[in-house]
Amino acid sequence: MDDILTVKKLNKSFGKNKVLKDVSFNVQPGKIVGLVGPNGAGKTTIMKAILGLFDFQSGSILIDGKDVSITKHQALSEVGALIEYPGIYPFLTGMQHLELFADNAAESKKDIQNIIDELQIGSYINRKAKAYSLGMKQKLGIALALLNNPKFVILDEPMNGLDPKATKELRNLILSLAKKGTTFLISSHILSELEKLVDEIVVIDKGKIIKQTSMEALSDSNGNYLILKTSDDTQAREILTAEGIELEKSDKLKIKKTSDEQLTGLIQLMSNHNINIVDVQHEQNDLETSLLDLLDNDQVKE
Amino acid sequence: MVTLIRQELFKLIHKKSTLIGTIALLVLMTIFAVFSKMQPSFSDPKGEFIAAYGGTSWIVFFMIAACSTIIAMEFQYGTIKELLYRRYYRGEILASKWITMFIYSLYFYVLSFVFSVILKVVLFNSKFSFSDIYTNDQSVMHVTLVTYAGNFVGLWLLLSLVLLLANVFKSSAAAISVGIVGYFATSIVSSLMFMLINKWEWLKWNPLNMLNLPSQLSNSTVIGTLTRLSNTELVWGNLIYTGVFLFLGYLIFRRRNV
Repeated sequence: MDDILTVKKLNKSFGKNKVLKDVSFNVQPGKIVGLVGPNGAGKTTIMKAILGLFDFQSGSILIDGKDVSITKHQALSEVGALIEYPGIYPFLTGMQHLELFADNAAESKKDIQNIIDELQIGSYINRKAKAYSLGMKQKLGIALALLNNPKFVILDEPMNGLDPKATKELRNLILSLAKKGTTFLISSHILSELEKLVDEIVVIDKGKIIKQTSMEALSDSNGNYLILKTSDDTQAREILTAEGIELEKSDKLKIKKTSDEQLTGLIQLMSNHNINIVDVQHEQNDLETSLLDLLDNDQVKE
Repeated sequence: MVTLIRQELFKLIHKKSTLIGTIALLVLMTIFAVFSKMQPSFSDPKGEFIAAYGGTSWIVFFMIAACSTIIAMEFQYGTIKELLYRRYYRGEILASKWITMFIYSLYFYVLSFVFSVILKVVLFNSKFSFSDIYTNDQSVMHVTLVTYAGNFVGLWLLLSLVLLLANVFKSSAAAISVGIVGYFATSIVSSLMFMLINKWEWLKWNPLNMLNLPSQLSNSTVIGTLTRLSNTELVWGNLIYTGVFLFLGYLIFRRRNV
């Protein structure tokens, strides 16, 4: 299937400060893609460029095969977005916001009611937005991004200000919409949140894309470890090294797991040398560790 | 485009300042009319009617405030992103705001005219009639309509400048100040400007001189010798400068990073 979003060699600078350097990535329809990186890496800038809010020096952005730039917005008709903080008119009620931006008068009533129900914002939707808390505003901003059934939704830090219950509900809503075919590009620094949500991640640091990979590939690549505890760790380390088994940098005996039979071999090896294995732990890297590793490697390369 | 204008009007109608402006206008006009009723020697009832009991002057302030906030507000609330990322061209978004303000100014003019007629009928019905001759063999009603038209064209020259500055300054406070100061500055610097025009004829085409249109329409012989432009030239000058300022505003808005 053709990509819904293709970003090619995007370059952007503010004066002398280069904020995006040859940024290229793509998003396939129906996928949930996470855009991850430290503060100031350029996540919001990329999203703004995709939405035609920013001029850029070179490169191209295609949504559904159509060019997007500051003066070309036609492709954005089926895109919904929440960037930075939600834009809210304090003098309107939440309901009036939804009515204001609803496209199709005939279907909008039903559409609006669906969104209100799904995000559970009905209790305060008819109050003036200036009285909303941060979380309420955030939910209204998400509701506005999801209004009019967009094909492609861009959410910048959508979990900002949401309590754990609301976060979970939002996650379920995103997953169910994605099942129906909606594509998502979501940035976040709450990595544990993304982990439960995204199919793919794009890692960005200092304006460069470091990696685009599927979640499975990421967890496999940094993957699983065995941690052994023996009656004599020092001797065990020598034996393992002598056998050519690579140990991770750690004060524990940490070995990368390569196969299911690996453990049997290790136990045999140890008992051959009269060392008892006291305990075996499995360690699986979460997204956070994998990501930090990636960012560390990036810094090493420079 | 119609959708965008509908959305702008929706926001305008729900803003408190719209209701406050309307009520303030009516109250101020009533005060001026009652004063004119009580002190006819100080303020001429016919002249007050022509000036909409001060209404056309108050409208200038309300419109300057409205025009400077209609763009700056979006930046202040962060809603500009929601406006701009959608399928519309930036020019359409800006134009929808201009048209909304144009409709708003028409609303104020119609309101002040209708209310002036009501005040006249209630307070001055026996004093004068609309068909009385005011100046130059023209009836009160005729002079009223010409004055309204002149004020309206002049107002839009000022507003086009405010809409441009609202873009340059990126803050409504600055744009409001410059608009209002500029409005007063014309009367302060006009004597100086008339001297300069006397010396350098081409200076008569400067935009400040164009703002004399309303006063020249009501008193063409005196002001006409000072502005050195005919009424027609002034009207065209106003329209052209309005167009130029609006276009400059568009050029800035089009490339603005959000």
